[in-house]
Parts: sequence; structure tokens; C-alpha cells
Amino acid sequence: MKIKLNGENHNHSGNGSIKSLLDELKLNKDHAAVMLNGKIVPQENWKTQMINENDEVEVLVFVGGG
Amino acid sequence: MSDILSFDDISFKSRLLVGTGKFSSIKTMISSIKASKTELVTVALKRFNKAKTEDDLYGPLLELENITLMPNTSGAMNAKEAIRAALLGRELSKSRFVKLEIHPNPHHLLPDPIETYEAAVELAKQDFLVLPYIPADPVLAKRLEDIGCAAVMPLGAPIGSGQGLTTKEMIQIIIKESNIPVIVDAGIRSPSEAAQSMEMGCEAVLINSAIAAAENPTKMADAFQQSVKAGRLAFKAGLMPSTETAIASSPLTSFLSSYD
Repeated sequence: MKIKLNGENHNHSGNGSIKSLLDELKLNKDHAAVMLNGKIVPQENWKTQMINENDEVEVLVFVGGG
Repeated sequence: MSDILSFDDISFKSRLLVGTGKFSSIKTMISSIKASKTELVTVALKRFNKAKTEDDLYGPLLELENITLMPNTSGAMNAKEAIRAALLGRELSKSRFVKLEIHPNPHHLLPDPIETYEAAVELAKQDFLVLPYIPADPVLAKRLEDIGCAAVMPLGAPIGSGQGLTTKEMIQIIIKESNIPVIVDAGIRSPSEAAQSMEMGCEAVLINSAIAAAENPTKMADAFQQSVKAGRLAFKAGLMPSTETAIASSPLTSFLSSYD
């Protein structure tokens, strides 16, 4: 399934849930926040929230900042 | 008697807030945070980068004890973007604190007062503890207090410039007028400037570049920790009045000339 991930084309091969996308990215899920088409998806919904073709997903993490 | 810094029902012993940007490594950042004895630390949000997973500093920060995170809204160009960044930051940190910063011009990074005010109104309604980064403007500071900000953070000088307390007189007016903590954010280069801010009556200072860009960040963090403490103590002790002419501190009796 083709989606836009952090502004770039991404081919997702999992089951289409947010959780499956994060598994695919191999990041620590407790350290990430997710937006789907501009709306925040709370962590408790990651298993059930499905992504559709051409959706825009943003995966954000904390970095150093003042 | 304990001297604590309070925001709503959350209180801190340390009056030094530390930013986590610009450190050469996470190891140096962590040792600097420890040396600073800070309890409130700012972080920024960024898109996850598959190629640079070491960017994530949340893990190392979570291992520190007694640290509360304050996500910032850096990168937001307007109120709408800042609100979204704040909500994402809260989702991730579970912290009510947000450092609200909206500075659309990358040349000077000066805060946009209008967008900042609009975002603050909304975030305060949504139960955030809003600490806005603002120009040293007493009128704006008062307006932000009125709509429920937890503190105001006027700049001493542009972010990362190290120009010191160039807005000292305006910050003094803000302190005099405010019923919420005033925290100098941006511009400070040396511990003496942090001490001066505290002597003036600031409730805290937020330091990032001055520590991260020092030759030895860990030592500089310790220096700031001590200066903030000294400045606060001096403020509590009350500085002596200043006068235009000398007032002798030794007796000026004329017995030496009485044997001529």
C-alpha cells in the first residue's frame, strides 16, 4: 500500500494499522507520536486505526531543542 | 524555609530550566543536565528519520530521575501549527508543560506576538501549562497572564546570539507588573547574566546554547546552577540601595591629623 510517510513515498507491507506501520519502521513505539491526515492518533488507537492508500502519515519523535 | 518554583500544583526546587538543543552528543547532554540539577527540560518534535535513529533522545531522558519534560513548538509558523505541535508534544510526553514558541523569521527568530497570543489562549483553555517565549513587552506579558499562561518567558536577546540581557529594563517592568513567574529565555551567554536575571526578580532562567555551545558544557551547566542559586539568594536577601555618591564604610575621624 502506497502512503506518504513524513512527506515521502512509502510502501507499507503490513496489515495497514498504525501499529503495523510503526513495527515496520522499527522504532521504539513509546517514543513516537502519530498524525494521520493531520489528526493526532492516540497511542491506544494504534492497533485499530487503519491507514488507507495515499493517506498522509506523520511519525514524530523528540529531539534536542531549546 | 523551602523556596520552590510553582506552576499550578507542580513545583520544582531548581530554578534553572535547560534546553537540549545543540549538544555535540547525547552523552554530553545527559551529563550537562545532571550537572545543572535542572528539573524541567525542553525538547523539540521532529519527523522520525529511518536513517538517523540516534536522533531520538527520549529514551536517555526518561532514564533521568526528577525530570519533567516541556515540549516546545519550534518550527511552528503560526498559532494553528503551534497548537498542533503542543498537542503532539503532550501526547508523547504526557506533560502539561508547553514552551510556546512561534518565530517565523529564521534570520532573527524573534517571536510573533500575535500568533503567540492566539495560540496561548487556546492552549490555556485546553489545560496546558503554557510558557510562552515572547518579546520583552510588558503589555503582551500582562495580556498573556490575563488569559491564563503559567509564566512568561521574555527574551534577553535573539535565540543563540549570546548577547546577554539587552532587554533588561523591559524585563524589570515585566517583573514588577507580573503575578506569574517571569523567566528569561534566550540571549544569556554567561552565568553572571543568569545571576543578574535572578537578582532582578526573575523566578527562573532557561538556558540552552550557553551550556551546549560552551567549551565544556558539563562544567558550564554546573556554573549556571550555582549562579542561578546565588542570584536567587541575593534577590531574597535584598540588595542594598545604590546612591550616586560615596557613603563611607570605615570611620572617617580625623585623629591622624590632630598630631600635626
